[in-house]
Amino acid sequence: MLRKEQNDLLTQSGPGTPMGQLFRSYWLPVLMASELAENECPPVRVKILSERLLAFRDTEGRYGLVDEFCAHRGVSLWFGRNEEHGLRCPYHGWKYDVTGQCIDVPSEPVESGFCKKIKLKSYPLIKRGPVLWTYMGPADKQPPLPEWEFATVPAEQSFISKRLQECNWLQAMEGGIDSSHVSFLHRGDLGTDPLFKGAKGNQYNLSDTRPHFEVVEQPGGLYIGARRNAENGNYYWRITPWVMPTFTMIPPRADHPIHGHFWIPIDDENCWAWTYDFHPVRALTEREVQAMKDGAGVHCKYVPGTFRPLANKDNDYLMDRAAQKAGKTYSGVAGFASQDASLQESMGPVCDRTKENLVSTDNGIIMARHRLMRAAKALVEKGVKPPGVDPEHQRVRSVSIVLPPDQAFKDGAREALIGRPGVAQTTV
Amino acid sequence: MQSESARMTTAAEARYRIDYPNSKPRAIKVVALDPPSEAVVKRLAQRPWQQATFFTAPKLEGVPKSGDGPSMKAWLSDLAGRTKDLIDEVATADLVVMVSSAGTNAEAAAVIAEACNVRKVMTTALIIGSESKSDEELSKSLAALRPYASMLVIAGNDDYIEEMLVALRA
Repeated sequence: MLRKEQNDLLTQSGPGTPMGQLFRSYWLPVLMASELAENECPPVRVKILSERLLAFRDTEGRYGLVDEFCAHRGVSLWFGRNEEHGLRCPYHGWKYDVTGQCIDVPSEPVESGFCKKIKLKSYPLIKRGPVLWTYMGPADKQPPLPEWEFATVPAEQSFISKRLQECNWLQAMEGGIDSSHVSFLHRGDLGTDPLFKGAKGNQYNLSDTRPHFEVVEQPGGLYIGARRNAENGNYYWRITPWVMPTFTMIPPRADHPIHGHFWIPIDDENCWAWTYDFHPVRALTEREVQAMKDGAGVHCKYVPGTFRPLANKDNDYLMDRAAQKAGKTYSGVAGFASQDASLQESMGPVCDRTKENLVSTDNGIIMARHRLMRAAKALVEKGVKPPGVDPEHQRVRSVSIVLPPDQAFKDGAREALIGRPGVAQTTV
Repeated sequence: MQSESARMTTAAEARYRIDYPNSKPRAIKVVALDPPSEAVVKRLAQRPWQQATFFTAPKLEGVPKSGDGPSMKAWLSDLAGRTKDLIDEVATADLVVMVSSAGTNAEAAAVIAEACNVRKVMTTALIIGSESKSDEELSKSLAALRPYASMLVIAGNDDYIEEMLVALRA
């Protein structure tokens, strides 16, 4: 349970809010690089942290993320012409470069220098791996470039997708650190999904539906360990790193690629669920990539031409009661991503946490909220750099491992929890 | 026509959620397992709580091993120092939270957990003061408490306990 003011604090990320300030301390994923595939390609509307922006790639391949609207009469520059080193408003010809600087006002004499007085708000936009990232905070606090492993491995080892999720970011993110729902909501897919099946860990998951948990704070956030019984009195551990404010990595299964998420607020009632898959030491196979494109694993199928899941609230998530009854799917909704989204969106645009009844196994969620509130307060009141900004905090790995009963996962998986180039994941 | 899910997940529809108390206060017993934790628990007890009560576990000297039945009678003290019957306290609990400082011996957890197991009461263990302790001490505490807690948390700072109890509607 949260008090209303705590819930508001955590769920509101627009300009001027404490959580908004926290989010503006990080490099955040904005677009897939493929959305701005070539120089002078069409611009793309971006809404992030409740700000309407426009991304474009100019003649020289420079990326820009600027206020969506022309400073002249407020026209959307999405209609603009991306030409000759800038984006020109089609209404009266005002033109802007990738920094938002106005570089031409045709109705004014060049000599007047009027255009120099016009500048749109802009943020840096950089490519790192298959993603375009932005930093929306003060220029003097801009952190080093993101070091997430999926974004730094060779391109053929990584795959990224994103989907619109029509609810607040926090209820989506909390699903990512709640390991106990896997044995229920996703149980129908563990044995059949091409990116999950065949792992011995699946058997542990399905045979022990009451995992025990250990939550350990780490510099960038948390490690959440779920243990289930294995053979000979040992424990099967699934260890999920959560790095502030919104990164999670799902523990691996067999030699399948590792996957995980970011949940980035679009506004307070919508977010982007970013999904990555990568393998630390080998290229993804054609079959794996095709499965990801087809919506397998934690990816999804789309409404054609959009990033909206094909199963969405407008079609009741393609609910199949017969499949639910037959045990083919546990909830009647197919696919990991849609299973999560359907339930998380059903909570409403912003979950009212004053009414919830958490139990002790929800300590990962309680601790994550605690860390977020503490970090936001420290940032706003004392300017303390939040956890997760430091690239060192981003070099994490999820782990699945069998350990003796008296060994702490923080010890038994110490090395495995660190992402190291060229070193394979630790997996069962 | 809009689907039912589309209609029912709007902010406007959220206003029609029934407003009523959907749970009764849970009885949560918080037990400090060692002197450093006792200081934290005593401070915590000053706050108003719905149904949280706070105890200390007496020292182990002279107490028979678990399984000897009646020995467990004297196994808790309230913060005023009065002896409380462990079984009685556990019997009226929805959750038992054990608080241990990192590096200290958590033997008392075994007896408390046994009582909880008999009564099918969930146990959570919190290890506090981890920031000032070595990795080795933390690992020792984790190993000691792991068999007796379905949820084990290492908290960097003590204020997490209060946050957790509030979150659990204690």
